[in-house]
Amino acid sequence: MMHRQAVIVGGGPAGLAAALRLREKGVQDILVLEREQLLGGILRQCIHDGFGLTRFGESLSGPEYAQRFIDRVKAANLECLTDCTVLDITPEKVVTAASRAKGLLQIQADAVLLTMGCRERTRGALATPGTRPAGVYTAGVAQNYINLQNIMVGHEVVILGSGDIGLIMARRMTLEGAHVKGVYEVQPYPSGLPRNIEQCLNDYGIPLHLSHTVVDIRGRERLTSVVVAQCDERFRPIPGTEEEIPCDTLILSVGLIPENELSLAAGVELDARTRGAFVDEHCQTQVPGIFAAGNVLHVHDLVDFVSLEAEALADSAAEYILKGSLPACCLEVRAGQNVGHVIPQRISGTRSFTLSLRVRQPLTDVSVVVRQGDREVLRKKMRKALPAEMIQLPIRAEKLTDSADMEVYVE
Amino acid sequence: MRDYDIIIIGGGVVGSAIARELTRYQLRVGVLEKESDVCTHTSGRNTGMLHAGFLYKTGSLKAQCCVEGNREFDQVARELDVPFKRTGKLIVGFTEEHRQRLLTMLERGKANGVPGMELIDRKRMDEIDPSAGGNFAIFCPSSGILDPFTYTVALAENAVKNGAAYHLYTEVTGSEYLPDGRHVLHTTKGDFTCRWVVNSAGLNSAKISEMLGIPGYVIQPVKGEYFVLDKKAGAFAKIPVYPAPTERNTFDTHATPTVDGNVLVGPNSFNVEDGEDYSVRQTGMDGLQESGARMFKHMKREYYIRTFAGARPKRVDPATGEIQDFLIERRDEVPGVINLVGIESPGLTSALPIARRVVKLLQEKETLTPNPAFDPIRRGVPRFHEASCEEQARLIAENPDYGEIICRCETITRAEIVAAIHNPLGVCTVNGIKVRTRASMGRCQGGYCETRITALIREELGKAVTDMRLGNGESTMFTGYVKGGEQA
Amino acid sequence: MKRTFTCIVCPNGCEIEAEYEGTEVFSVTGNLCPKGKAYVTQELVDPRRTIATSVRVEGGTLPLASVRLTRPIPKARIFDVMREINRQTLTAPVRIGDVVIRDVLGLGSDVIVTKHIEKAQ
Repeated sequence: MMHRQAVIVGGGPAGLAAALRLREKGVQDILVLEREQLLGGILRQCIHDGFGLTRFGESLSGPEYAQRFIDRVKAANLECLTDCTVLDITPEKVVTAASRAKGLLQIQADAVLLTMGCRERTRGALATPGTRPAGVYTAGVAQNYINLQNIMVGHEVVILGSGDIGLIMARRMTLEGAHVKGVYEVQPYPSGLPRNIEQCLNDYGIPLHLSHTVVDIRGRERLTSVVVAQCDERFRPIPGTEEEIPCDTLILSVGLIPENELSLAAGVELDARTRGAFVDEHCQTQVPGIFAAGNVLHVHDLVDFVSLEAEALADSAAEYILKGSLPACCLEVRAGQNVGHVIPQRISGTRSFTLSLRVRQPLTDVSVVVRQGDREVLRKKMRKALPAEMIQLPIRAEKLTDSADMEVYVE
Repeated sequence: MRDYDIIIIGGGVVGSAIARELTRYQLRVGVLEKESDVCTHTSGRNTGMLHAGFLYKTGSLKAQCCVEGNREFDQVARELDVPFKRTGKLIVGFTEEHRQRLLTMLERGKANGVPGMELIDRKRMDEIDPSAGGNFAIFCPSSGILDPFTYTVALAENAVKNGAAYHLYTEVTGSEYLPDGRHVLHTTKGDFTCRWVVNSAGLNSAKISEMLGIPGYVIQPVKGEYFVLDKKAGAFAKIPVYPAPTERNTFDTHATPTVDGNVLVGPNSFNVEDGEDYSVRQTGMDGLQESGARMFKHMKREYYIRTFAGARPKRVDPATGEIQDFLIERRDEVPGVINLVGIESPGLTSALPIARRVVKLLQEKETLTPNPAFDPIRRGVPRFHEASCEEQARLIAENPDYGEIICRCETITRAEIVAAIHNPLGVCTVNGIKVRTRASMGRCQGGYCETRITALIREELGKAVTDMRLGNGESTMFTGYVKGGEQA
Repeated sequence: MKRTFTCIVCPNGCEIEAEYEGTEVFSVTGNLCPKGKAYVTQELVDPRRTIATSVRVEGGTLPLASVRLTRPIPKARIFDVMREINRQTLTAPVRIGDVVIRDVLGLGSDVIVTKHIEKAQ
């Protein structure tokens, strides 16, 4: 069996950033496993710009952002196996992978870094009624066909869900000559970023219908129409508001789910809210030596934050690899009022860390409050807080106590 | 004009079983299938149960064929390399009324020749499946689960291997009976001639029967909707658990594990006019969620993978609407026709016994010469995810395509997909590849692999993007190229 | 006049309340940085956008190279620029930064490649 100090599962933005930082921290023996032929992950098909504003201070396309990391990975001579799919990870950190070139690999790792990203929620998961014709695509699948394979999926388009990829695809398809008839969002507020509503929908005159959903899909062979309806506050269609919209394509942008099947195999416990691992401030899961960061941990709004989180992970993983252990994290971090989820879910109370959270619904003129018992650790005023945006708060060690659980809420 | 000794209309599980059984003899066998693949209607849209045969009237064809088909299936599954598990089944009851119905069912099962059925108490139930509800149950050890797609495909492939020819996208539109005793079948792909026609048209069997000169049958399609649940829910479903039958001797919503480890919740049951309308309804799914949760406590939204619907072609008495037995007939006044009408559940279990009865009707009219080259064995493509680590390493060493995972959720390799693309029936739709390999049947529903599968189909078969089809008919996946127009 | 703008300069997506007359901005509130005011002013005078699309590549490992504009162009010219880009074909290999069209339609922006495409074997 091979041995590596660190095995990184996934060569997307999180995996590459983590690999580079591990090497900087003195970890020599690193292996990145990537299932596709090329590194870069989902960024390869995200050809729109707007990436890297935080990281590089300029607006890059996804492939350019990824290439900056790939170039550094190559320059650092980091070992990356592409075309190599991880099949299993054990709690003892034995990684099994299949590759055309290398056959079936088994690698004993000191630390495993989970950076597999996320997948899209499907029509099946929504249980949308109707037939099953051709012409129903998730936004990411349509993006792959259009941006990587030069294949046009349709012309008369309805989009269900206002996630960022759906908004981006509304603009992409419009630029390539399709007619996007509208975006329908079941919630009373958009799930994508405001700037994407502006520059992807408003700029092109594409209407956004909030509190609406698709209640029927029609057509036996190719899609012929969808029926949309207005929804009540419990997301249930209101009878009598149905409208049939002829179209040949339905694009679904209805949420992303961290891709944690391998994590489960490794015995990692998942948080029902994030659908990613429970982690401590070191990005370490409940299985010692198995770490997670990026969209596999919780779905991010911006890739810049994915890179940052992966680097924070790598700092801790390097410490774990080189010293053999990390400080125990016995204090719980709880999501309180108006907070959907928090990362990390456990802390030591002795070290600085970055707290990530999302609010449950759009709020204006609020304060995010971080408390430990009766001690207020941090209070941040915000003019607006949207579920579409991840809020990140640096928490400094000197403000913390190691004797009380933490609660995060928005008031 | 293409000529056969015998043409089977319909390439479902029954039509394919008939084709396979007929190739045991020196006959030129043709199968006309109107769709893009075998198994796209009733044969593939069901619970995938190998039924035991206790539900049907003693002496009926349904009872006879089902018990016969059940008994032989271990051997059939071995011959044809079909995933199959003889799980047994629990039919559970709570009340004294349930107990009486279960006892009636037990007696009928015994009379039908179903082996090993017994009424068991809660203690025995706990030994078999502690998660099953109910105070007592009938345990039927001979029930099983199988993959209906692989079974139908295997029958068809074995038939082709032994000399039968399949014609896909070939819908029969009319027929003539010639003075020389031959039939001409007009189809969407031109005319075919033959001495014998077998009507195995399922939902369309009454229509085809009338076309062949035997009018008067009525098919009532009975639709059922299903949920498919994630394999995570499958971990909790070891054995099919059914509620005690209703007064009408049918089963309400139940949870059935599939042979691949998912769970099916359903079906509900309602009459429809158009049996080929497979849309699912919100009301149907709401009902399944509610009734399914009573039978299977892991019926949760987070486990939803997919919904689907199917329809059983029930033959009904035109006057009373009463459901009739399978009909397998040959009439002297309509020469050269073997007529199958109303083959519904348990048609999957009964397919080969039905096929043998068709052969027998033929043998009453002519002497059949055995085909010395007939080989009952069909081997599927080795499945990577079912192999041990050593076998996996060997598979990749022999064929590097086994080292490239295309479908991550189901761990399906490029080797399996390429083999499926070059299937003996010449099926080239995305759904065809899916049912042959299970690629894209997992929780991401093709989110990762569909783009790769379509690329492989184009690459292996040299197909233009506009010729790519999802499934039946003109289910065009793409409208063209983004850049570069036709020359791209 | 009063209007609310959603700033697209960065992911903050500030909602900016602006008071203006014609193209003269009197006051802006809600922006987290000075770029917000500049954005509003620009929106009133001459709204500009960048676009990203692809260009066909011959002989490459992928059929398309992604491209983008180096600077924003007038919003009203987006589809004119798309037509220009759609006329282009590249031959592999292409590299990030390769200029596909210099100063497209005289609008002061270049169309550049944003993805390495290797030559197919």
